[in-house]
Amino acid sequence: MALLETRSLSKSFGALTAVDGVSLAVEAGTLHSIIGPNGAGKTTLFNLLTGAFAPSSGDILLDGRRITGTPAHRVAHLGIARSFQRTNVFPALSLLDNVWVAAFARSPSWSGLLWRHTGRYPEAVSTARKALADVGLAGKADQPARAISHGEQRQLELAIALAASPRVLLLDEPAAGLSPDETRKMVALVRSLKAPAPGQTQGRYTIVLIEHKMDIIMSVSDRISVMHFGRLIAEGTPAEIQRDPEVRRAYLGGVAA
Amino acid sequence: MKNIAILAAILLLPLAVRPAIATEIWIFAIFGLGANLLIGYTGLLSFGQATFFGSAAYVAGYLLKYHGLNVFAALGAGIGVGAVSALAVGYLCVQRSGIYFIMLTFALNQLFYFVAYQWTSVTGGEDGMPGIPRPVLLGVDFRNPLVYYGFVSVFFLASLWAMKRIVESPIGKILQAIRENEVRAAAVGYDVPRFKLAAFVIAGAFSGLAGVLYAMLFGIVPLEAISFVFSGNVVFATLIGGSGSLYGPIIGSFVFIWLSESVSLLWERWPLLLGVAFVIVVLFLRGGVIEAWSRFVAWKMRWRSSKRAA
Amino acid sequence: MNLFFGQILNGIATGMLYALMGLGLALIAGILNIPNFAHGALFAVGAYLAVSAIGALGNFWIALLVAPIGVALLGLLIEYLGIRRLYAAGHDYQLLFTFGLSLILAEGIILVWGPVGISQLPPPALRGGVDLGFTFYPKYRLFVMAAAGLLVVGTWLFLEKTRYGAIMRAGIENKEMVSLLGIDIHRLFTVAFALGAYLAGIAGALTAPIRGLSPGMGVDMLGIAFVVVALGGMGNILGAIAAGLLIGVAQAVVAAYWTEASVAVIYLVMAAVLVFRPQGLFGTR
Repeated sequence: MALLETRSLSKSFGALTAVDGVSLAVEAGTLHSIIGPNGAGKTTLFNLLTGAFAPSSGDILLDGRRITGTPAHRVAHLGIARSFQRTNVFPALSLLDNVWVAAFARSPSWSGLLWRHTGRYPEAVSTARKALADVGLAGKADQPARAISHGEQRQLELAIALAASPRVLLLDEPAAGLSPDETRKMVALVRSLKAPAPGQTQGRYTIVLIEHKMDIIMSVSDRISVMHFGRLIAEGTPAEIQRDPEVRRAYLGGVAA
Repeated sequence: MKNIAILAAILLLPLAVRPAIATEIWIFAIFGLGANLLIGYTGLLSFGQATFFGSAAYVAGYLLKYHGLNVFAALGAGIGVGAVSALAVGYLCVQRSGIYFIMLTFALNQLFYFVAYQWTSVTGGEDGMPGIPRPVLLGVDFRNPLVYYGFVSVFFLASLWAMKRIVESPIGKILQAIRENEVRAAAVGYDVPRFKLAAFVIAGAFSGLAGVLYAMLFGIVPLEAISFVFSGNVVFATLIGGSGSLYGPIIGSFVFIWLSESVSLLWERWPLLLGVAFVIVVLFLRGGVIEAWSRFVAWKMRWRSSKRAA
Repeated sequence: MNLFFGQILNGIATGMLYALMGLGLALIAGILNIPNFAHGALFAVGAYLAVSAIGALGNFWIALLVAPIGVALLGLLIEYLGIRRLYAAGHDYQLLFTFGLSLILAEGIILVWGPVGISQLPPPALRGGVDLGFTFYPKYRLFVMAAAGLLVVGTWLFLEKTRYGAIMRAGIENKEMVSLLGIDIHRLFTVAFALGAYLAGIAGALTAPIRGLSPGMGVDMLGIAFVVVALGGMGNILGAIAAGLLIGVAQAVVAAYWTEASVAVIYLVMAAVLVFRPQGLFGTR
């Protein structure tokens, strides 16, 4: 059964329909990519999934349960975490604090919220350090986020999402603005996130990925959905998508990525 | 270590200035600690802190004067009034942001001000509420200026300790995260308006404590205590001390009280000089005293090394 | 009943002035995106300059022309020397700057004109009253209604119907877009601030014969201007006008029955409205 599902999800801003009847199903433990030209509605779709906007119509289901209309600050507690297309970190806080707040939010108990020293939450601290280590930033934990390079900030962007110990990761162009070398590292990172935990067959995370760089998409995706003008025009395995004439038309017919 | 410096300051200050002024400095520092949580840590530029300070002063002053309330109960009442008024104001304001938020906190401050101004039977209006007694407890006479100074110092230390605990606890980090990036803070799982409201209530409680101590210091609750000018003063003190740092409000309080006390002796039109000071700070000393000092030090070092090279 | 209608007329007169103040503040807040705590002081300066001009020139009408221009020039100076350097500085510094400015201006007024209130008679042509049937109403207040009303409509027409007005409205919506279109955004800011200052100044000049002058008149007006903008919806021109009138009338009616509450009631109404409509009466969202 699909872990994350949308049913005829739509969002209109006045006369502009940004997302038009999108129905997709993401199987647990898989990496499902969403591609499409600029303005196709991909980021709006993410905004709907994370409660930043309420949909105009349609439903979102997690584990078979309707979660449509969940406000943004409760979505994290459902186990859905998101990284943003434009780097969206906490600039003045240290890297460790950046991920710590994400980890703490998901702690089973917030006791001591007003009076216990942040260092005395061993689980949140270890989750935070592990998230930094997973993306390769453990060495810079005490530096303020605004002091690190753009590429490292993209890694931090991802680490904040990981620190929430989510089941579903929504990654919005994680490789945006990265050099070829940094991109290679990011792809390896995403691939490592797909990998199952030892002794498991299913991937640790269920990942929905928006990307423009085709080589990344083709190399990591289990399934691909193609959006164009807010609608889903194709869906399938990477091989199927590469052969699909609709997709060719959307990409080669003028408004290519 | 900072703590030793503060203890030293507390012990030595009465040697440098009159006990009343020294007491005022620590009271204003408590006020500033609360304001800094909102302005510096959460990034909410509240221009109505005097609402909570003044309301607490009036209520506690009234209870002390007409009902002979025990001083600790009065302090508790002041903290409560500060917190509750902050809850009400915050509730109306936290959904807004930017200039709108600032203007709203100011307008609500004006509401409280005009109520205090008109309700002369209770507040005394323009003349203020005089006759606030200081207690005599367990044989100790708090009407002695030095004794009261010690009393206030204890509350200052307690406030500093409490604020330190708060900013080093999860809520301290969460409020800073909200300041840095509200959208991400919500995405990560925090109900941002509710946390902002919590910041208001905490700031209000600190303001209320300061208000009651102020009323007992001067024996009167002046109308100014709930005016927007008072709100502006604490904003100034917070910014010049360096907002976002725990000890900033202490420095800011020293600077502001020193400034206003010395300037007010020079000239009846001293608010003009205060305004000029604000303008100068904003145009030339952004980053506060700490940054100005480090820039000065850096400039001196460059000047010295260029002299040596010559 | 006659008292009631008379108060309504009073309310419309002051409401027009409130609308002028709200308009000026909304323009500055909307286009420059700064909290202008000196707006009330500019109003006060306008009133005092007008009184001095009447004294020096002996002519109300010329003073009415000249004083607001003086305030506009002051606004240009303030923008050029100070505010211009603070656009990137953050609201806290902008606030402190304009707040400091308001202190300087208020104390400056006391230095020049003394701390005691001043009263100013209307020009000879506008003294006395007019028989409106249900009441004998002061001519000057009718004039204020008309003059302020004309200014409000004129400002609205400027913003809605002229090209530069459209640029200003676009600037409220989206500054980046406007500068990308090749328009000098800094000139826009300067013009907007000067226009806002002018509106405050002429409101002050018109007020002088109605309420008299005192150094504290600026602060009271500042709060009211904020309420007008808060109720009218930020950046909403028509909203500011409607809110100003509403507040003016509400205040005047309350003043007839419970004088002491007439100022506080403005803020209470604002608080009550915001509880149910956080976006103000006319704001969107």
